[in-house]
Amino acid sequence: MDKKKLVILAALLLFLVVLVIIYLNLGGTIKPRPTQFISSSQDESESEKQNESTTIILFFPSEHDSLLHREEREIIPESSLALHAKRIISELLNGSQRGFLSPIPPGTRLRELYITKEGVAYVDFSREIMDKHLSGSSAEMSTIYSVVNSLSYNIKTIKKVFILIDGGEKKTLGGHINLTSPFQPIYDIVAK
Amino acid sequence: MNVFGRGFDSRRLHNAASIIEINDRDKLYKLRRGIPKLTLAFSVIFLFLSIFSAPQSQPILKISAQDYEKYSRVTIQSDLPLSSSVEQSDTFVFVKIRANTPFRIQRESFQSRFVKSVGWSRGSGSYMLTINTEHENFSCNSFKVQNPPRLIIEIHPNRGQDPPINETNRNMTNPQTVDPECIVIDPGHGGLEVGAKGKFGTLEKDITLAIGMKLAEIARQTRASNVVLTRDRDVDISLEDRSAIANNNKATVFISIHVNGSYRKGAAGPETYFLSKDATDEESRRLAFMENNSKEMENNIQAEDEDLIKMILWDMAQTAYLKQSSQLAEAIQSELNLLWGTRNRGIKQAPFKVLTGVACPAVLVEVAFLSNPQEERKLLTEEYQRKIAQAVYDGLAKFLRDNSR
Ligand SMILES: [Zn+2]
Repeated sequence: MDKKKLVILAALLLFLVVLVIIYLNLGGTIKPRPTQFISSSQDESESEKQNESTTIILFFPSEHDSLLHREEREIIPESSLALHAKRIISELLNGSQRGFLSPIPPGTRLRELYITKEGVAYVDFSREIMDKHLSGSSAEMSTIYSVVNSLSYNIKTIKKVFILIDGGEKKTLGGHINLTSPFQPIYDIVAK
Repeated sequence: MNVFGRGFDSRRLHNAASIIEINDRDKLYKLRRGIPKLTLAFSVIFLFLSIFSAPQSQPILKISAQDYEKYSRVTIQSDLPLSSSVEQSDTFVFVKIRANTPFRIQRESFQSRFVKSVGWSRGSGSYMLTINTEHENFSCNSFKVQNPPRLIIEIHPNRGQDPPINETNRNMTNPQTVDPECIVIDPGHGGLEVGAKGKFGTLEKDITLAIGMKLAEIARQTRASNVVLTRDRDVDISLEDRSAIANNNKATVFISIHVNGSYRKGAAGPETYFLSKDATDEESRRLAFMENNSKEMENNIQAEDEDLIKMILWDMAQTAYLKQSSQLAEAIQSELNLLWGTRNRGIKQAPFKVLTGVACPAVLVEVAFLSNPQEERKLLTEEYQRKIAQAVYDGLAKFLRDNSR
C-alpha cells in the first residue's frame, strides 16, 4: 500500500468519525442540548427586527374560582425555543401583574430547561418548589398545570412537559400528583 | 407554526437553526481540505483509540442480588443517574429504567432465597428488568442511593403459607368473583410526610388517619368483609407500598383518604377523584413497547407465555378499572355532597401517583379543604370526622351493592 492510498483511507476514516461525532451530538444523547443553537444564534437575532414584541399568555390560579386564568404579557422574543420557554417560566415565577395567585412557592428558581426533538420540555426547578410547597392536591394541580399549560400554549412544539426538581426526577410535589410521567396540557381547567 | 397565531414565531428560529447547521458544515468542509498530513495522522491514531476505548465508555448497568436475614436485596448500579419505575405483579417485580443510550448490562451471579432470577430486555428508550421471586406473597420497596447512582429493591416475603402457583384464582381480570370482599382504606400521608397544613396547625396526615380509622371501624361493624388499613399509626409509607398493599390483599376496592389544600383561602367542599386518562397513556405506551419487544422478551426472560400476558394485564390494571372507579367516585361524592350541602359538585380526574398501580376500582377522596379555616375547625371535631367516614362508607356500600351479582 502506498502513501497516497493510506492518506485517502485515513481521510475517509476521519470523515466517518466526524459524521459519527456530529450524529452523536445531534441526537441520541441522554441529555438533550438545546444550547447548541442558543449561543450561536446571537448574531442571527440582531439582524432580525429586534424591538418587535410578542404576546405570551400565562396561566394563573385565582382567588375567585378553581380555574386557571389567562394573563397576557408582551415580551421581546428570545432567540431560541429553549430561551423563549425559559422566559415564559421566569415570567410565571415573577407572579401575576393582575392580582392572580402565585402558583409556585416563593424562592423557587428555574435551574434548567431543555426541549427534546420529540417535543418534551424538561423543566428543572430548584428544591423550593417541593420543600416550600403548600401541599394539598389542588395546590399541586395549580402549580403543575400553570407551568404545563403556559409552556404548551405558547410553544406549539412542546407536546408534553416533564417536571424535574433539583436536577432529578421526583415522585410528587407533596404526596399527590405523579411527577414520574410527563404532563399534557389541560384546557378545561382554564376560565373562558 | 403557532396555532394560536399571536404568540411566538418559531419559524424564524428554525431558519436560524438551519443556517447555523450550514455554517458548521462549511467549517467542517474547510477543515477537511486544509488539514495538514500530521494532523491527519494524529486523527487516525485518535480514531483507533476511540474505537478501542468505545466499549469502555459505554455506561454500565450492574445488577446484583444479596440476601439479608429477613429479605433479599437487588442492587442496580449505574454510572448515570437512574430514572426508573418499579412495579410488583404476581411473582415478579418489574423495573423499568429510562435510557437514551445503550447500557452494558453486567449481571453478577448470585444465590438468593427470594430472588430466583433477574432478566432484562431493551426497548426504545428504556430497559425492562424482570426480577422473579417465585413467591406469590411478598412485598417490595425500592429506593435510590447516590455515589454511584444505585437503585435498591428489597424483597420481603410475607408471613404465612404461599398459595400453590398453579391455582385458578390467579385470574386477575376479575378477582372479585373468586376472592372474598376486601376493602383497603388508605389514610393519606404519615410520618415526616405531613401533607397539607391548616391555619391552626392541623396536619393532613392526622385528619386522614382519624377518618380512615373511623371508616374502617364502620366497615368492620357493618359488613362481613376483610378491611385493611394501609397504616393505623403515624408512619411513613411510600405511595408504591400503599398500592402494593391493595394488590397483595386482592382488594375489591381501594379508597385513599386525603384533605385538600389550595392557594385559595375560599376553596371549600369535598372532591372525589379517580385516575385521569392522561396518566394511563404512559401505560398504553408501555404495552406497545412490550408487544414490540415480545420476541426479545421471550428470549431473555425464562417465563411462560402465560406469565407474559398476565404481566401486561397487570400494567393495564387501573386502566381496566377506570369505569368502575368513576362509579365508585360518583357514589361517594354524592354522599359527601349531601353531608356538606355542596350542590352538584362533580367527580374529577387527576394523575394521582397512589392510584396508578392499583388493580381494582380505586378513588382518592379529598374530604374537605384544610386551607379553609372554617372547614379546618370542623375537621378537628370527632363528630365531623365520623360523619365524613359514614358518608364515604354509604357511598362505598352503594357501589358494592350495585356491582354485586
Ligand atoms: Zn393528601
